[in-house]
Amino acid sequence: MIETTTAPFPTIRVRPWLGLLAAVSALIATFMALIWAPTDAVQGDVYRIIYIHVPLAWLAYLAFFVVFVASLGWLLTKNPWFDALAVSSAEVGVLFTGMFIVAGSIWAKPTWGVWWTWDPRLVTTAIMFMMYVGYLLLRSLSTDFARRATRAAVLGVIAVIDIPIVHLSVLWMNSLHQLPTVLRAGGSPSLDATMGMTLGISVVAFTLVYFAFLAERMAIELGRQRGVQGVRA
Amino acid sequence: MIENLGFIVAAYVLVWGGIAAYLISLRRRRGS
Repeated sequence: MIETTTAPFPTIRVRPWLGLLAAVSALIATFMALIWAPTDAVQGDVYRIIYIHVPLAWLAYLAFFVVFVASLGWLLTKNPWFDALAVSSAEVGVLFTGMFIVAGSIWAKPTWGVWWTWDPRLVTTAIMFMMYVGYLLLRSLSTDFARRATRAAVLGVIAVIDIPIVHLSVLWMNSLHQLPTVLRAGGSPSLDATMGMTLGISVVAFTLVYFAFLAERMAIELGRQRGVQGVRA
Repeated sequence: MIENLGFIVAAYVLVWGGIAAYLISLRRRRGS
């Protein structure tokens, strides 16, 4: 018998506030990104896609790192709460990855002249996306809760290796994609202060959206676990 | 006239539309 804890995650009192905070910060971030931030001297206004593309990419990294930690948690403790955390974070991470790939593609067309190119950063990102889609599909192969959670956790631990590969691919190989602008070694962010502030607020907004989604998705997953035979809430 | 306005709008609509669609999906799953 596998047991879950009774109150494993912020419940009714926190979730509505988190959602409200996420919505308000998203509105502020969108205003700053589209109106307040100055036009880029080189790219013009199309650079404004950075304010959704980059935060979504960072949050996808975070989401998949959470999958890694939660997968280790399941393998070490067999507590189903960790499995709920892993699948919830993986699902939000896949959503964010899909969206930042699409936003990046829309940004690429006017700046690079193509929607897609077989660039190291783009290819490693596509591999990351497919690995975590595979993670979600893998979970549907078994109806046995413990077996499914263990198989998924093993993949969740292995797949995290692609995150540093995606981030550092632009340094390791010749790439059309620009080098890291903010998270770069040996220097401060190469970004105008106003642009940097707008990007910071956008990161805060998407972080709140991530945690709001994670809380909602976990509540659903924990509810499912309670309904599964052999998993007692 | 803002240059590449269509690309900017398309990117923002897709991202925030995707977020709204996922939110609706979560609410439906929570309700079922």
